[in-house]
Amino acid sequence: MKLNSKKKIKSAFESMMFVWGYPLEAKEAADIFDINKDDAYGLFKELQNEYEQEGRGIRIREINKAFQYITISENEEYVEKLCTPVKVKKLSQAALEVLAIIAYKQPITKSEIDAIRGIKCDRVIEGLEKKELVEVRGRSEKIGRPLIYGTTNEFLKKFGFGSIKEIPEIDDLEDTINEKKIEGIPELHEQIEMEI
Amino acid sequence: MYKIKLESFEGPFDLLVYLIENSKMNIYDIKVAEITRQYVDYLEALDDLDVEVATEFIVLAAVLINLKSKMLIPRFSENGEFLIEDDPRVELVHKLEEYKLTKYRAAMLEKKMEYFSGVFEKPQEDISKYLDNPDEMINLDVDQFAKAFILFLERKKKISDVRKNYQRVEKQKASIEERINQIVSVFNGKLESDYYEFSELIPNKDDNYDVALTFVSVLELMKEQIVTAEQEENYGNILVKKIDKKENEIE
Repeated sequence: MKLNSKKKIKSAFESMMFVWGYPLEAKEAADIFDINKDDAYGLFKELQNEYEQEGRGIRIREINKAFQYITISENEEYVEKLCTPVKVKKLSQAALEVLAIIAYKQPITKSEIDAIRGIKCDRVIEGLEKKELVEVRGRSEKIGRPLIYGTTNEFLKKFGFGSIKEIPEIDDLEDTINEKKIEGIPELHEQIEMEI
Repeated sequence: MYKIKLESFEGPFDLLVYLIENSKMNIYDIKVAEITRQYVDYLEALDDLDVEVATEFIVLAAVLINLKSKMLIPRFSENGEFLIEDDPRVELVHKLEEYKLTKYRAAMLEKKMEYFSGVFEKPQEDISKYLDNPDEMINLDVDQFAKAFILFLERKKKISDVRKNYQRVEKQKASIEERINQIVSVFNGKLESDYYEFSELIPNKDDNYDVALTFVSVLELMKEQIVTAEQEENYGNILVKKIDKKENEIE
């Protein structure tokens, strides 16, 4: 691809994302320019990087190879002064545990989830399904063909993952969560102090 | 004694992990007897053990006791050889590790969710005005439009004129009392052996209201022991007869 046309396509992607609002699929954008979908994906990734490098208040997020404009969390308080966005309720400890199991072990059956927590999780799973954070992915080939669960795109959005591959591995048991920097969340001193 | 409610634990492993950490025990070298004691003590300390909540907790208590007994009794094979088995605690340790890992992951997710709750997206807007979908224009000049409007007004006036001069008339419907009187008068002066078919009692058989009214009236008369009715088979003819009682003489 010529540098010139690359720039043009990227600018077009920006306009398209702006109008579309919803996550714009790289494949769909690729079809419009009749280019390879991997190339389109690469261009979206380049754009995403540019916004990050420049420290813009608008960023591009990926949700399973679709891209969307979002604001950054650091600007939440200013956005909220302008309007009152609907706040999402926090998840219970039980819900977070079940969600963690599903996120890391998907696809997984109900009984496998129960076994890890040592307690029945039916109600909790139901709640997570209602919140559209997890969904039934089909049936396992095991005896009784139980339902298997996985996470949704809504989960990726709410937790800031571009795909389930981005869920960070936590394998050091002795390393407590508070000491460890969580990938994708800037540490406090990294955040830019704003003067008003 | 521990002053914590069972509900505050997310399950039996949660309680066990808490107890192990609380007594500064190494997860890879659990003192099974001690921790089982604590665990069972804890369950006993609960005033009312809710079976629904407690079942899973009790299952783990049984697992712990089973584990301790396995560790106490040395195993021998059939020909008397002492068997060196894996530490029976291994399975439990694996489960506890897995559960602790889950807790860390849940904590990570919680932080992530908190951070990303400050991120806003825009809903898809109504972009139909950018798309080529023009409003349909009616090709009319002012005169034609005025004519159509006048025509509409005139039609409206006609209807209201008609309404002014005529009233809607509704057919008066018979009441049960009237129908009962009619039926009684039919039977008046007849002998006991005389009977009518139910359908003969209905003045207008095409009118469902009439049929229903007659049926209800006959039922009422039966209740008052004035007539009786017989039906030999389902959907067959209903025969209505007069009951001959002197004291019940129909006027």
